[in-house]
Amino acid sequence: MKVLRLICVFLSLLPLTGAAPLTPSRRKLDIDSFEFVWKRIQDRYWDPEQLEGKHGGLNWQAVHDELLPKMQSAANESEALGVLENMIGRLHLTHFAIIPNEVYSDLDEPSGGEGITGLDVRVVDGKPLVTSVASGVDARPGWEIVRIDQRKLAPVLDRVARMYERATIRDMMLVRAVTARLDGPVGVPVEIEFLDGENRLLKRRVVRVRPRGEVTRLGLMPAASVWYESRKLPGDIGYFTFNLFLDPGRLMPAFEEAVKTCARCAGIIVDVRGNPGGLGVMSMGMAGFFIERTDQQLGTMYMRNLPIKFVINPRQPLYKGPLAILVDGLSASTSEIFAGGLKDLGRARIFGTRTAGAALPSVIEKLPNGDAFQYAQANYLSDGGKALEGAGLQPDVQVENRREDLLAGHDRVSEAAVEWIQAQRKGN
Amino acid sequence: MRLLTSFLTLAALLNAADSLPKADTVLEKYVEVTGGKEAYDKVHSSISSGTMEIPAQNIKGTVTVYNSEPALEYTVIDISGLGKMEEGTDGNVAWALSAMQGARIKEGDERAAALKSANFKNRAHWQEFYKSAETVGVETVDGKACYKIVLTPKEGKPETEYYDKTSGLLVKQTATLKTPMGEIPVETSVSDYRKEGGLMVPHKMQQSAMGQQFQISIDSVMMNAEIPQDRYNLPPEIKALQAKAK
Repeated sequence: MKVLRLICVFLSLLPLTGAAPLTPSRRKLDIDSFEFVWKRIQDRYWDPEQLEGKHGGLNWQAVHDELLPKMQSAANESEALGVLENMIGRLHLTHFAIIPNEVYSDLDEPSGGEGITGLDVRVVDGKPLVTSVASGVDARPGWEIVRIDQRKLAPVLDRVARMYERATIRDMMLVRAVTARLDGPVGVPVEIEFLDGENRLLKRRVVRVRPRGEVTRLGLMPAASVWYESRKLPGDIGYFTFNLFLDPGRLMPAFEEAVKTCARCAGIIVDVRGNPGGLGVMSMGMAGFFIERTDQQLGTMYMRNLPIKFVINPRQPLYKGPLAILVDGLSASTSEIFAGGLKDLGRARIFGTRTAGAALPSVIEKLPNGDAFQYAQANYLSDGGKALEGAGLQPDVQVENRREDLLAGHDRVSEAAVEWIQAQRKGN
Repeated sequence: MRLLTSFLTLAALLNAADSLPKADTVLEKYVEVTGGKEAYDKVHSSISSGTMEIPAQNIKGTVTVYNSEPALEYTVIDISGLGKMEEGTDGNVAWALSAMQGARIKEGDERAAALKSANFKNRAHWQEFYKSAETVGVETVDGKACYKIVLTPKEGKPETEYYDKTSGLLVKQTATLKTPMGEIPVETSVSDYRKEGGLMVPHKMQQSAMGQQFQISIDSVMMNAEIPQDRYNLPPEIKALQAKAK
């Protein structure tokens, strides 16, 4: 749930399930859910005039009146779910979704607890690969995770991959399905079966530990551990990475210091791979270190009757050299706004794989019938007029770490950024 | 029948217009019931402190406002998880500073609004800050019949204020805040007036902006407090921006 609550996600239509006849009480819950979803959109959709048929929109009241009888006469759960999906499908917006109860639980498995294994994972070509390993854990980047506590991962990943086949959040959901099983209570071990670099099956017992970084709390958001790393790469290149756009009181001064110590660097790399976002305002604050003009913005968020410009406030120290931003399918929300905005402004070159396409502030609410309804409360367009939601940000340089790269100790994405920065230096 | 309805409506409007007091009468009554012009003129500085909250998100913090005549202000808001956000004016330069956004000098309408807000005379001598004020009707706010006054500042967009017909106290204000992120409509309800150093001061403010509700509760107000002048000095980050602009 941690990630699901923090990030803004887009979900494609999900397969229908369940064919049991509806009991009267279940039918009532489905009708209540229908009214709940209709009213939420009626009350909170960012352009109410579209719901009155203006700006190429539709008559939302007519949708209600047309579909309510269908919900009232749905023969089974599958049909009832179909009516809900039909209703939100009329909006032609992919980031509105009904999440069936069983899928919700598949992605939020059982373990509970904040403990982590120290393994960072990405699913590449359908295989869950270790991409980095915390010290003290006996595993290697490039190893494939086959089984976690007796449970084979392949069938789970197959199911999730099918469900999210057309969705930009596919990578995020695949990794979520793995980490939901790796994570658990601190101090409780998990048995993991790996396929090592020579394709031998190895078992490791890993004791879950507290996440790295410092715990930050902001209102109702679940407590989150925020960490960052700042270092110099060979070739006089600054490198900064962090896991969340949170804890600005600690993160922003660290970022400022990183830029300051890199005033004369050949280039700076900001790595937001795996970063699901956080406070949108921090994207503007960070971008300010790279933008000199005062009239620039990362994009515009359209809330109900209120456009909010993501204006960049130029700040010191200003870095004018080459800027590379690394992204992947787990970079979402504020990460996408940051990278997408600076790309549109021509200020950064983006390396990696398509981002999650989950830029919007969205909410997941449980419906009376047990399913969940996810809806966005705003629309976001980058400065170049592109909607990130459901499309993701396409990097300038598409590059991904394959298993053989990881086993050989390479990070092809970072290396591509370094090559580009060095080429810029030679060019100058 | 339609003609009769129109006539009655017109008559009602004319009657309403006749019975509405002039805006300056309403504004002067407010000054009077909150202490009187003389009491306002005796106040030269204040320190207000309290809490700020976004209840729907369970976000809480502290707020302290230092204010000295003629128009000096320094506000610091500290919210756990977000850090410190500062704003101020030295009577000429209006600025904002936070870890999230860095340093910024306010310009145009935003600067004018900050200077107006910081000025000690903005209530007792409102004519110095507004081009006009007009009573446009009576509306009910929180069950109280209120005069609705539209004030047009010398710089910036009109503001609407609602004054309780009975008590004369200000109960609500709506305005459009001009910020770099865009023009943001803000509605502020004020209540819980208490006497502080000869003036009635609201201790609760509920603001609504960008779909969020903010609550400010003032715990303490010190009128004519000793405030060192350097409290209002521009922070080094703001001075650096000024130097860069030259």
